[in-house]
Amino acid sequence: MTTTQPDRTEESEGGLKRTITGRLLYGYVLGDVLGSGVYVLIGAVAAAVGGAFWLAFAAGVAVATLTGMAYAELVSKYPRAAGASLYVHHAFRRPALTFFVTVCFLSAAFAAAGSLASGFAGYFTQLVQQAPVLLVSLLFVLALCLINFIGITESVVANMVMTVVEVAGLLIILAAGVVQVARGDASWGVLTEFRAEGNPVFAVVAGVALAFFAMTGFENAANVAEETRRPAITFPRALIGGMATAGVIYVLVAMTAALVVPVDVLGGSEAALLEVVRAGVLPVPVGAMIIVFALIAMVAISNTALVSIVTQSRVLYGMAREGVVPWVFSRLHHARRSPWVGLLFSGLVVGLLLVVGALVQLVDPELDLVGRLATVTVVFLLFIYALVIVSAFKLRGTDEADDAYRAPTPALVVGLVGNVVLLVYVVVDDPSSLLWVGGLLLVGLALYLAARASRRGRDPLAGYAGHDAKEG
Amino acid sequence: MHVLVATDGSRESLTAARELQRLADPDRIDEVTVVAVVSPLAAVPFANDLGRPRDPAPPGPGGLSFRQEAEDAVAVVAEQLARWGPPVRRQVRSGSAAAEIVRAAEELSADLVVLASGGRGLSETVLLGSTAARVQHSAPCAVLVVRPPGPRRPGR
Repeated sequence: MTTTQPDRTEESEGGLKRTITGRLLYGYVLGDVLGSGVYVLIGAVAAAVGGAFWLAFAAGVAVATLTGMAYAELVSKYPRAAGASLYVHHAFRRPALTFFVTVCFLSAAFAAAGSLASGFAGYFTQLVQQAPVLLVSLLFVLALCLINFIGITESVVANMVMTVVEVAGLLIILAAGVVQVARGDASWGVLTEFRAEGNPVFAVVAGVALAFFAMTGFENAANVAEETRRPAITFPRALIGGMATAGVIYVLVAMTAALVVPVDVLGGSEAALLEVVRAGVLPVPVGAMIIVFALIAMVAISNTALVSIVTQSRVLYGMAREGVVPWVFSRLHHARRSPWVGLLFSGLVVGLLLVVGALVQLVDPELDLVGRLATVTVVFLLFIYALVIVSAFKLRGTDEADDAYRAPTPALVVGLVGNVVLLVYVVVDDPSSLLWVGGLLLVGLALYLAARASRRGRDPLAGYAGHDAKEG
Repeated sequence: MHVLVATDGSRESLTAARELQRLADPDRIDEVTVVAVVSPLAAVPFANDLGRPRDPAPPGPGGLSFRQEAEDAVAVVAEQLARWGPPVRRQVRSGSAAAEIVRAAEELSADLVVLASGGRGLSETVLLGSTAARVQHSAPCAVLVVRPPGPRRPGR
């Protein structure tokens, strides 16, 4: 009864065309991942580890990619837009747990957007010296919400352009590294140096926890799973391929940064990759290069931050459609068809995080807001990732189609152990991050209570399945 | 003549389909295709305000989905046009709304595209233009932009 025109492409998919090809998905993953961490956090990782901080990136990338395999397996089974909460629902069938995971995911996205906004302000103040950091980051969040409201992020082309810009920025860094090595100025010894005090293993683990943030964003790829052509085949390749590419770039960039710039300069910088450019290795005017590179960094950070805000309002929308948060979050703007209430709310929460961060900094000037919010993101994500891997194991043997991707079991075991070890380390090392975690979870609790109140005490969680959109 | 009716899941888009029935002679229309576009990268890729069709498709594994929402919206609009006369086809595409509607019109060699007008507020007209404005700008054929009467959201 449903009749459609014969397709231009060979792809039938029940006669319906899906736009996301493997190449587009690969670019999407790469752009989303590259923007999140390396521009923002490389200084913090360098400070934590010492000259050998590329090791931290390598380990972080490895753990994240192993987690990506679990995602790929689950996406190929359940090509829906909901990601972790859907998998946990299928694996455990406990609405309360599903809700908790969804709130954790939302909180991770809030913290990530806050960290990225602060990172953006860090690069911005390199261009405009006197700009007030808090104001810049707040305006940045406002701009992101507006852009999402208008819907520019829907453009696949805009995404590809941003990804190309991001990769170009890192190629500039790598070029500086190549020149440095070719000149014979590289002192290779620095790559095996650790921070003076403490055990090298702990130094690396500390770096890994931060470097992990650089890989986050890949889980957003699940958002487009539904519109991916032949997801069972395309998705694992594009996701793992994109993450592996990002990983190789990260390790090379980290090595370059260590070879070109003294590690203490990297560690003390607000915009560490800019120091590589500032070192003046490349045969181009440093002043112009700094401006170009700062702009590239800002584009990269914006790209990932945009996706993060999209994710927040989408998760809120999905939850509202299922009645576990107030229905008002499913309101769409009448003409733009964008979830303006969710966007506004996201903007407010992220803005609040930034303001609280600024206030805490007044009391404790040592606080590195970018790093702190990144740590909070990582705490949430490590928990979710571990649970996703467990879900992948629990769902083995169910809903398995012939062409479904199956991740190698040892890889998932290593990934699970990696996630749990990092989670324990982060929490033990920095218990105060739990305060922030708790604060963000309170937002979720408040939303739940508001939904409950509007349903006159009936439990909104009854029947919650973590689907992205459900008939209301 | 082949008519393409676009729906974004809004009630206005259903009104647009009714307006086509009011204005056009069904005997002169060979075929109608109802098209919806899912935008995978948007915050809400597709939202269906039209309810479930009388003859809903069984939900796939993992519950309902944005694509399902789009298919439901297309089905509701197709049901509206079902007894009008011309055969009705359905199509769900993905990508950017305006570009995909234009592409669909080209592929189907449509002679007319029917859609609801976007908003008329400042942000729509100044910042980016509505989907309707962009479609009429680059469509290969005539475009009927239906502006629902009365307040912005009839029925709400």
